[in-house]
Amino acid sequence: MDSSRLHLNFDNSRPAANDRAFPTTPSTFPQPVFPGPQSGSMQSQQQQQQPYGAGYPQQGYFPQGQYGQQQYPGQAVTSDYPNAAYPPQAGNDPNTGLAHQFSHQNLGGGAARGGQYAARGPSSGRPRTAGGSGQQASYGNYAPPMPSQGAVSSPEFQPIPERNPDKYGTNANSNQKKCSQLAADFFKDSVKRARERNQRQNELEQKLQDPGQSATRREQLWSTAGRKEGQYLRFLRTKDKPENYNTVKIIGKGAFGEVKLVQKKGDGKVYAMKSLIKTEMFKKDQLAHVRSERDILAESDSPWVVKLYTTFQDAYFLYMLMEFLPGGDLMTMLIKYEIFSEDITRFYIAEIVLAIEAVHKLGFIHRDIKPDNILLDRGGHVKLTDFGLSTGFHRLHDNNYYQQLLQGRSNRPRDRTSVAIDQINLTVSNRSQINDWRRSRRLMAYSTVGTPDYIAPEIFTGHGYTFDCDWWSLGTIMFECLVGWPPFCAEDSHDTYRKIVNWRQTLYFPDDITLGAEAENLIRSMVCNTENRLGRGGAHEIKSHAFFRGVDFDSLRRIRAPFEPRLTSNIDTTYFPTDEIDQTDNATLLKAQAIQNRNGQPPEESPEMSLPFIGYTFKRFDNNFR
Amino acid sequence: MADSGAGPSGDDIINSYHLPRPLPLWLNSNCAKHIVKGNFMTLSARPKTVEQGEWIAHQVVEHYRNLWNFVQVVHAKEETGNTICNPTTCPRMSAGANHSFTWLNSRREPVELPAHEYMTLMQRWITGKIDDTAIFPTDPAGVSYSHNPAISSTPLSQLTNPGEPDWVGKRSGFPEKFIDICQMIFRQMFRVYAHLYWAHFVEPYYHLNLEKQLNSCFSHFLLTATALDMLGKQELEPMQPLIDLWAANGTFPPESKVYEYASIRAGERLIQLAGVTQ
Repeated sequence: MDSSRLHLNFDNSRPAANDRAFPTTPSTFPQPVFPGPQSGSMQSQQQQQQPYGAGYPQQGYFPQGQYGQQQYPGQAVTSDYPNAAYPPQAGNDPNTGLAHQFSHQNLGGGAARGGQYAARGPSSGRPRTAGGSGQQASYGNYAPPMPSQGAVSSPEFQPIPERNPDKYGTNANSNQKKCSQLAADFFKDSVKRARERNQRQNELEQKLQDPGQSATRREQLWSTAGRKEGQYLRFLRTKDKPENYNTVKIIGKGAFGEVKLVQKKGDGKVYAMKSLIKTEMFKKDQLAHVRSERDILAESDSPWVVKLYTTFQDAYFLYMLMEFLPGGDLMTMLIKYEIFSEDITRFYIAEIVLAIEAVHKLGFIHRDIKPDNILLDRGGHVKLTDFGLSTGFHRLHDNNYYQQLLQGRSNRPRDRTSVAIDQINLTVSNRSQINDWRRSRRLMAYSTVGTPDYIAPEIFTGHGYTFDCDWWSLGTIMFECLVGWPPFCAEDSHDTYRKIVNWRQTLYFPDDITLGAEAENLIRSMVCNTENRLGRGGAHEIKSHAFFRGVDFDSLRRIRAPFEPRLTSNIDTTYFPTDEIDQTDNATLLKAQAIQNRNGQPPEESPEMSLPFIGYTFKRFDNNFR
Repeated sequence: MADSGAGPSGDDIINSYHLPRPLPLWLNSNCAKHIVKGNFMTLSARPKTVEQGEWIAHQVVEHYRNLWNFVQVVHAKEETGNTICNPTTCPRMSAGANHSFTWLNSRREPVELPAHEYMTLMQRWITGKIDDTAIFPTDPAGVSYSHNPAISSTPLSQLTNPGEPDWVGKRSGFPEKFIDICQMIFRQMFRVYAHLYWAHFVEPYYHLNLEKQLNSCFSHFLLTATALDMLGKQELEPMQPLIDLWAANGTFPPESKVYEYASIRAGERLIQLAGVTQ
């Protein structure tokens, strides 16, 4: 018998025997036996490159890094956006690809990001294997039903039984899901890590081969690389816990948790730690949002997106350790400066365009772009944060929720302190009213409801939405920068919703504020119905608007920002309204209480509390090495 | 490999294992499949710059976490208070009729324990080691790197003082007994896997659709443990036929150490018996 034929059965890649110690060529990496359908679609989406319109004449923007009121002299630069990629085709249909996954996640089956191995999607719609209860998570989904007759039932072996998961209790079945997913995650993560490790090793070897390197330098390169790898391995095998960090200050509070400035014990490194209350996330239907935020931040390496270093959890909380951006947020800045000049507005809006574009390229729709979520780094440049959380943009996919809001009566005063605010009556002269509105604006930001001011109408009219809803939000932010309040602000959320839906009647540019024609045109091109919205075909449509004439988008992040935070230390929280935030550490209190309630016993994790958060833990390689 | 000349036949070898008949389901190659394919060795290969002790520590923890996901399934209490693995189903920590493992009591005497209790004690023992920073140090400042004679100007012999003992992981702060402890952990983990296969492969893993996950984790475990010399051939005995099968069906690449420990003929015969003709 020809035994070599046996191997065909397993379709195994069997590389030639070579170096036993390091056979780490990517082609031999383990592959999923049955690749998920989503992995294919994701790749094709990412590869989809849309060449942008040819050379738009550019002028240098803020070439000296000086800001003032006058127009800046610029040099002519041409750019044809050679590397821009944007997934508009796939994105325009909210029912395809990642956009679909992002917007319709529910953690019944885990929020699928369609990773190459992750098979977290709900298994409904797939044929069940024999005797299956539809609970076969992970690869079982892709496996053809086990043939139960013919060649398989060899008399030499115990008979293959019909699978019957229902013979076990609910705990066994939830452990099944957990086990299956964790095994899949293990291989997925291990492969990813091994790939990245090899890449780092290759880079190191290239550096070592450089004949110009001195022996000392080569030794140093080697030992540094080895230590970094070793430190990462230690990081991987250590369970992180909040006790490893000292709280410096609470810099943000949301409905589902809080954001603290923390310092790691030991090395003193500074981070922003977001803690989210698991039970609240669970009750308020936030599971999909938690997961999507973790996914996008874990995946992104973009300078426009706040960096996530690690995530961990205990029985009560999910923790996200992120980079601390000392510049505060755009909301705080708008509260401080009230309005921006057109030049400064141009800078921020241009940066936000690039940030939104970066998020879209990752396959995500942010859907909650608002000044609170636009953070400023050490240099005053923009980064996006809050991918679906904390300010409570909840039940986004639940159109009923918005329908109820739209039909409901105004029950003022409810969300905000009662101020008679009607945008149409606002003028520059009654700024005090605006200031009242602003004060309530911050309260709003910390509430469960969140502010609806920047949400595109299609999101809550239930007719579906796609990537361009973020451009609407950008338009409303630009309006606020130049005018001083968002275009649909009202005393009460219900009124805001109604105004947004009736934007044709309610979008109004105050007479006493003169906007440049191009600025007003750009706002009107984004704050409009989705069919006509600029940006629908990609960010390049917005970038080439006349308002941005002279802006060199490629170098924007490298020039000096109009406001650079002045900081006295790496834990300076000047740019956060910490005196307006209750500094009580609720997370720690809640936890202490819970432990007390259990008479000092460590909490046991119930399956329904632990299952939805499986795979939440994440560890980035460069965590320790900023 | 296909040479059918001298030496014992596949049947002879299989018979020498004294396996129960009919053969256990996990030896049916239709049930020996995986959730991943390709060369797992890439996952257990030590990165060149990483110090050996650091790498072994990492592998111990990763495999322990993997294994305990499976143990949890048979250890979880249902509303009835019952666990799948209990003193009635598994009065001994057994791996088939021919193997059972004993636990050393406080007087260091071997005692037979129900599998459930054995595994609970073992879990406590292993976590006691893994969480002990004197054995598994976690301080990032203490990390070292592997010695590379082609690059380092200091010969390895000069890195330790003459006359002082050296051991794997010493420069990274791992204790002298570190390798012994890791070998014991790997041996204990192997026993757990062996029990899960012999006693629980069908009940519950096959029924719960977890056998492919179990196979992938266990085959990766075997590749790693043998490559790092944490398990020797004689210790693999209770699972020898599955190792033969995986060597024959390509799960274990020929350049792997565990492949050397396998009998390809026995494995090929098992595949034949399962009626896999393609």
